[in-house]
Amino acid sequence: MKRFILTLIIFFLILSTSLIKNTTKKIEDEIYNIKENLRSLNSQLEEVFFEYIYLSSSEKLLEFQLLYFEDQLIPKDISEIKLITTKHDANTIEDLNITKN
Amino acid sequence: MNSRIISENNKNDFSSKKIKSNTSVQFNRIAFIFFFFFVIYLIYTIHLIHLGLRKSNNKPINNFNSISTKFQRADIIDVNGNYLAKTVSSIDVGIKPVDIIDKKKLILSLKYIFPNKDFVEIEKRIEKNKFFKFERRISPDNYEKIMKLGDKSIVSEENVIRLYPQKNLFSHIIGQIDDGNRGISGLEKSLNQRLKDSNDPIRLTVDKEIQFLIRSELVRYQEIFKNKGAAALLMNVNNGDIISLLSLPDFDPNLRQNITDVNYINKVTKGTYELGSVFKSFTYAAALNEDLIKPETEFLDLPKTIYCGRFPISEYDEKMPSDLTAEKILIRSGNIGSVRIAEKIGPKKFKLFLEKIGVLGQINFDIEEIALQKNLEFDRCRLETAAYGHGITTTILQLAKGYSILSNGGFDIEPKLIKRKKNNEKKIQILNVGVSEKVVSALRKIVNTEEGTANLADVNGYEIAGKTGTAQQPIGGEYSSAKINTFVSVFPSSKPEYVFIVMLETPKIASDYVYTLRNNKGTIKGTPRNTAGWTAVEVAGKTIEKIGPILATKSLEVEEK
Repeated sequence: MKRFILTLIIFFLILSTSLIKNTTKKIEDEIYNIKENLRSLNSQLEEVFFEYIYLSSSEKLLEFQLLYFEDQLIPKDISEIKLITTKHDANTIEDLNITKN
Repeated sequence: MNSRIISENNKNDFSSKKIKSNTSVQFNRIAFIFFFFFVIYLIYTIHLIHLGLRKSNNKPINNFNSISTKFQRADIIDVNGNYLAKTVSSIDVGIKPVDIIDKKKLILSLKYIFPNKDFVEIEKRIEKNKFFKFERRISPDNYEKIMKLGDKSIVSEENVIRLYPQKNLFSHIIGQIDDGNRGISGLEKSLNQRLKDSNDPIRLTVDKEIQFLIRSELVRYQEIFKNKGAAALLMNVNNGDIISLLSLPDFDPNLRQNITDVNYINKVTKGTYELGSVFKSFTYAAALNEDLIKPETEFLDLPKTIYCGRFPISEYDEKMPSDLTAEKILIRSGNIGSVRIAEKIGPKKFKLFLEKIGVLGQINFDIEEIALQKNLEFDRCRLETAAYGHGITTTILQLAKGYSILSNGGFDIEPKLIKRKKNNEKKIQILNVGVSEKVVSALRKIVNTEEGTANLADVNGYEIAGKTGTAQQPIGGEYSSAKINTFVSVFPSSKPEYVFIVMLETPKIASDYVYTLRNNKGTIKGTPRNTAGWTAVEVAGKTIEKIGPILATKSLEVEEK
């Protein structure tokens, strides 16, 4: 009986070890794939962001404005800029101040 | 019988021992196998638990690991995360003529991919039978096309380059590196090791948009006033964060030029100047801090000229009244009045005050290009000239620090370019309570009253306070007609947040420029006088008009965050 129980436990250990090993291998493979994908996506993101920063720089935007629009850019006076706050479906309009209130 | 019994007993004993031994061996073997598998089971179970429990690694992945760590250098970003300096990988493609199988076919294919290349020259180079670089920094599309040709004579070489996407905009802050990945100026130099050691980007306090707007105005007015150079500095008076730092002329660090012209020095941190009347605010503040005067203290019978040894000190404005209060001396920028205030303070205390607020002495800063300050002897004559900003030199950076302390309630600050994590350092108050308010109140009157010298900067909505300074430049030991025109502004005066300095080096009179006077007072054509009030103040006013709404909106965004 004792032998039978031991053999059963060993059989169980062999089975569960192979199962767990298989699972960890799968997880490790997944982690590796995700890491590699992340690496390449991160690199792509950096490149796109870098391009975006270059193309959306003030200098470039002014170039595009001159190229595609005939309108002139007019500086806004601070008094023309208002601050709208919505609270309980009611809007309150305040002046924009240079100071933090 | 006995013997048999003994024998049986012996046999039994033997047999019994043997059986016992067999059971023990078998049991130990099973126990060993059990233990062996149990250990393996345990290892994998722990590993599985570890895999399940481990947190995701969000650290930025080093894109250059695969290329080379020799040229590894961290990126530099502005306060909003925009790249100011970035290391990117690039691929150069070369041709090994000895490995070419079909020269005609190769050239035809290359012509198709690179139609604009000079193939006569390329054919000559192929005939020389030596390896040559065919295309540097090839685009990803062309790289794919050229590698698809499958010609083994085409060799690609991966390398990294340092790019400065903002070109000239941050040249004096960022600096540049040499071909060996060594920083040779600016932050590239002072942070050289840190940039090499880590991949984490370094975040600065500067703002790309604000920097662009200020530079645009400086460049525009450089054409109007024909000044040799210019500098501007925008800083938060409460924490020393530099939002913009500009010095003209500047350079494009992407070009890797070897700059030797002294006009290209950083005029904010390295250039030392006699800045003239902007020092009068320090004289006034020092006397208030020592409780020697009040704003309404009267100075009577002020002469038009006094002498410091054989050198005369006179008023710039001939209509300067002889009787003035201390505050009016500052508002009307009186030289003799300022000398009288300084005489009350005395040379020792005045020097100590200037050192305390950081205007004199060495300053600690994030970039290495800072001016070496001399330890000046403060005799009576030096005191008199320093009272109105002559015979004493400092940098724009130190001037900004001084004005920040004068306007932020008297708290010590350190100008900085690198964004620090929020710290709970206790602020040290170095000026007496109430001094700051009195100084800012007088500075405001310089901008918004008729008597003041900076009316052109009275931009509606910003409560600008400030002080002008027009100083003749010493050349060969004597003062020349060339001037340094400076305007230091602090705004909003009700709760100072920013100090903004504009300095123009040798500006000229602009006879065609039309000034629109503030508060609907009409226009004036041509610069009446080549002073800060008509040059640096105009530049500062126009610049604040442009950057003001952005600063107001951004401070709101920061609050919401």
